[in-house]
Amino acid sequence: MLRTYLSWAVSLTLSAAVALGSGTFGKVVSIGGAAADLALDEARGYLYIANFTANRIEQMSLANNTIQSSINVAAQPAGLSLSPDGRYLLVAHYGNFVSPGSPSNGLTVIDLSSGGKQAFALGSPPLGVAFGLDGRALVVTAQEFILFDPVSGTTQVLDTVSGLQAKTLPATQPGPAFPPNIVAAAVGVSGDGTKMYGLTDKFQFSYDVNQQQLSVIGYVSTPAQGPRVVSVNKNGTSYTSGWTLNDRFGNLVAEFLNPTGALNIGSHAFDSSRGLIYAQIPDATAGQNPPPVLQIADASNLTVRQRLYLPENLAGRSVLSSDWNTMYSVSDSGVVVLPVGSLSAAPRVVSDRADVVFRGNFCDRRVATQQIQITDPGGGATPFSLAVASNGVSVSPSSGVTPATVRISVDPNAFQNQKGTVAVNVALSSSKAVNVPSPVRVLVNLKDPDQRGTFVNVPGKLVDILADPSRDRFYVLRQDTNEVLVFDGSNNAQIASLPASNVPTQLAITFDRRYLLIGSNDSQIIPVYDLETLQPLAPVIMPGGHYPRSVAASGKAILAACRVAGPVHTIDRVDLGTRTAVALPSLGVFKNDINVNTVLVASPNGSSIFGASADGTVLLYNANADSFTVMRKDSAALSGAYAASSFDRYVAGNNLLNSSLVPVAKLESGTGLSSGFAFVDETGIRTTAPDAASPGVIQRVDTLTGAGIRATRTVEAPVLGNTTYAFTRTVAPLYSRNSVVVLSVSGFTVLPWAYDESVAPPKIDRVVNAADMNSAVAPGGLITVFGRQLSPVNIATNELPLPTALGESCLTVNGLPLPMIFTSPSQINAQLPFQSTGNVTLVLRTPGGVSDNYNLVIQPGAPSVFRASVSGYDALIPTIVRSENQTLVTTSNPVHHGDTLIIYLTGLGQTTPPVEAGDPAPSNPLALVLNPPKLDLGGAGLSVSYAGLAPGQVGVYQLNATVPRNAPAGLAVPLNIVQGSAKTSVEVRVVE
Amino acid sequence: MNTRTWLLTAFAILSAPAVVAQKWEFGAGAGGGFYTSGDVTSPAGSGSVKIGSGIGASAWLANNTSQLWGGELRYDYQTGDLQVSSQSVKASFAAHSQAIHYDFVLHATGRNAKVRPFLAFGGGVKLYTGTGTEVAAQPLNRLALLSRTTDTRGLAVIGAGVKFNARRLTLRLEGHDFITPFPSKVIAPASGASIGGWVHDLVVSAGLGLLF
Repeated sequence: MLRTYLSWAVSLTLSAAVALGSGTFGKVVSIGGAAADLALDEARGYLYIANFTANRIEQMSLANNTIQSSINVAAQPAGLSLSPDGRYLLVAHYGNFVSPGSPSNGLTVIDLSSGGKQAFALGSPPLGVAFGLDGRALVVTAQEFILFDPVSGTTQVLDTVSGLQAKTLPATQPGPAFPPNIVAAAVGVSGDGTKMYGLTDKFQFSYDVNQQQLSVIGYVSTPAQGPRVVSVNKNGTSYTSGWTLNDRFGNLVAEFLNPTGALNIGSHAFDSSRGLIYAQIPDATAGQNPPPVLQIADASNLTVRQRLYLPENLAGRSVLSSDWNTMYSVSDSGVVVLPVGSLSAAPRVVSDRADVVFRGNFCDRRVATQQIQITDPGGGATPFSLAVASNGVSVSPSSGVTPATVRISVDPNAFQNQKGTVAVNVALSSSKAVNVPSPVRVLVNLKDPDQRGTFVNVPGKLVDILADPSRDRFYVLRQDTNEVLVFDGSNNAQIASLPASNVPTQLAITFDRRYLLIGSNDSQIIPVYDLETLQPLAPVIMPGGHYPRSVAASGKAILAACRVAGPVHTIDRVDLGTRTAVALPSLGVFKNDINVNTVLVASPNGSSIFGASADGTVLLYNANADSFTVMRKDSAALSGAYAASSFDRYVAGNNLLNSSLVPVAKLESGTGLSSGFAFVDETGIRTTAPDAASPGVIQRVDTLTGAGIRATRTVEAPVLGNTTYAFTRTVAPLYSRNSVVVLSVSGFTVLPWAYDESVAPPKIDRVVNAADMNSAVAPGGLITVFGRQLSPVNIATNELPLPTALGESCLTVNGLPLPMIFTSPSQINAQLPFQSTGNVTLVLRTPGGVSDNYNLVIQPGAPSVFRASVSGYDALIPTIVRSENQTLVTTSNPVHHGDTLIIYLTGLGQTTPPVEAGDPAPSNPLALVLNPPKLDLGGAGLSVSYAGLAPGQVGVYQLNATVPRNAPAGLAVPLNIVQGSAKTSVEVRVVE
Repeated sequence: MNTRTWLLTAFAILSAPAVVAQKWEFGAGAGGGFYTSGDVTSPAGSGSVKIGSGIGASAWLANNTSQLWGGELRYDYQTGDLQVSSQSVKASFAAHSQAIHYDFVLHATGRNAKVRPFLAFGGGVKLYTGTGTEVAAQPLNRLALLSRTTDTRGLAVIGAGVKFNARRLTLRLEGHDFITPFPSKVIAPASGASIGGWVHDLVVSAGLGLLF
């Protein structure tokens, strides 16, 4: 690895930028000079470090990470490599150093067994060296690729740089001066020694050791490919060079985000055992002198999992020990030793929740409090502090030591004029933790009764939503974690997560409805998923330098609007059969030169693909003509919604266009910025919002006139575009036509299909406990309400604490709001407050109005065992688990004498300590039932070892009891649970 | 005494001519057996229940009290899965049985004859033990429930065989029918189902006894 003198100057400047007020990960070993490369010799217990300026090879002990000795060598050792048998250390001397002198170029072979040294002169400066499995080293010089045999000292010229240029590089790619010389290069070798990859200023190369085959791929890159390091995975199928992740063919799989391109700052290394890449890639958006940060990213798509503060900048090659537990990196002072295998021992702080949602509603205007857990994932006691810069949100305590429970409180009065969702960040920091903690996002929503929809919180940056055209599903693209979230349209529950490429931007479904395609901004592949199995298929490989930001599939062609690493951005045609793509030579009669901020969308009937660009251009591909038939520019700029219909109508921003893309109507702009549009048959559904913190607006649109119909405020704003991604797709009318899902600031908002029609008032028919559907209910118990028009939509929540409004419905007992789990038009599941007893009145509020009073008697105790459906049985089975095999008690899995049974039930009433309704039950201390029940099995008493709430569950109680030896055997022995005057009984099979 | 010397000595003792008539016999044998099946009927359908064929081992202590009559105390162990089947569906559950019984033995020839055909009859107890892994839903659980428990049943035994005496050793070839009520604890009829009758376990075995 070569670095220039200028590089060191920059490095020294930045090395002062150590993170202040936090811990750092790794130990710096200073070598009293400038490290240029390193090689790991685990057999001898040394790390060899090329000290470029001191003309020696430092030997650092792996036992105590100290420099124990050094080997003097010729001037300016710049590259190191250890032979596979561990005998030879090859040192490359870079003689073309600009200043202070120009010593000779050459190689030194150090026989580590005998200590002997042998020097070999080279005609041009060596820029990188690496040993292959065959015991020969590939030496990259400014002019040649050489194979060097350390045993015989012989060299074999594989090829010359100019020869490579003539044979493999496209004539138009590098320009007439390419390459005058290589000015910096890096070479990496796979863990098994069979594949080498290299990076120069102008091209990348690969060398197959077994085949002795050298190949080169030209590239252009802005910014430059820095850090100038190449890292290869264990078997050579993947490598990182500079800030890119590539497959073995050189296809760019993913990029590190916002690289500065500095050649001399940063490093990376593969951890093939954990499927990770450790990397420091300086961030161009991080401001002046940012602290050095190590990213821990997925090796498949560079999704960043953790960020750790480094003690100083890395500056070259990194190597991992054979047990994958220690990483050694060239750094400003010499070497940084990073114990990546014992990361769990390093102090870190994290919150257990990314988002904390506070939903005020017309039933509930109380100051709300929720708890989060601040922990050290390694289990340590690490100090932390929390800061919130917003009135109305407070945290207590604001500092402490992990593990700690922190209460976040929201005063609704402070947000009473905000009817959309306000996002407030709570910053988490630590003076000792080595990680960069993510803030906690507090989402506060105080909707008015007229605001329709229920938002479902989905943490992260959501950028696209797409309804499956033939399944009751929808797909949400989460950009920050590079994944597609798959939701079941019947209950809006997430059913799968599909890994995407880096910085995914848009989704598309093929016209045959079989495959999901994912466009991205920082990857040159299009991931493909089978929508039946949700399994990944082979991706589409884009042409070099083409990033498929937007993809659309017509009945004839699949097109991708690409950001291109070059002067012209293009539309490419994707061949799903060969999994390749090619830039169209032209767009019909128009030049294939598009704005980088272009989106494509196909009409539902597959007849066309509509495109819209941020510069105001719109374009149309006609599937019958198999060509672009329209391209025009009637606006100076476009942003917001984009959509294509099957009836020759198109939408871009606030413009309704006809089949020639001539604007035929202007959509109203009084409700705010354009966000989403979806054609449904011959009408449209449109979303807008003034800003992200305001309520959203949804309205139907007459697609002939563009007139809005029954504009309706929604619970929160839909996602709005920005300068990088001007266009947004936020409306997903589901295939079942039961609901419309809108991508919104907290996640997504679910609206009934007929959200704008008048709704009949709710009618409560019956209230039972949710366990055995008996009418007996108790404080804190889970109940089921049956009736009509109970909610406009089906929706279940996994939010904790449970929300007190769900599916636009809220339920109160004597005015006290009930936490809700599930709502549908005919059924609601909710939890009774712990403090409610006796005769109470239940009232339900929905967009249709207020229900009649429903009188209910809440008993102090009403034990009811939950029932479960078990395959193989017609009847529901009581949820009683034998602890011996953790399996439900059935006639096939009967109770045995001496068994410990775990019984799950509801209705055991108040606990000590008390738990708020809607909150999950604590595990420490456990919430014990105030009035423990008595159990008997066919008259034989059971000893109860635990009676309390099931930890982590809401409204679910747990009884642990032991079966006595005298319990009668039988097919149906009654298990009786008696609490005061209340009793429930279930039958179980008992064998001796 | 090394191993070879010990073996030679033992062989010499066992092969020596009997100086007195032997009254006692201690022996062990092995063999295989199969059970008869039973029917199960319920509102959900009908099927067949049985215990699967298995291998067995036995040990006995016999006393030849007279020239023709004798008696023996026996222990028998036999493997055999619990099974229920209906049409093409079959469920099984690992199990074994153990029996302890006393049999009266009537020989056709005298005590010193080299070949001694015999008849046996007796009684005792038999323990059926289900040892399989319990799951939430066994197949055919609407007919019968194969259970991990022990079922103790009265046992009647009839048998016949022949003994070949050679000095202190006797070789037996014999067959028994072990008869018990159906073990309805380990193969329990499901709710509404009924299983009745007797179970015959027909075992053929060979054994070697030491006369003393």
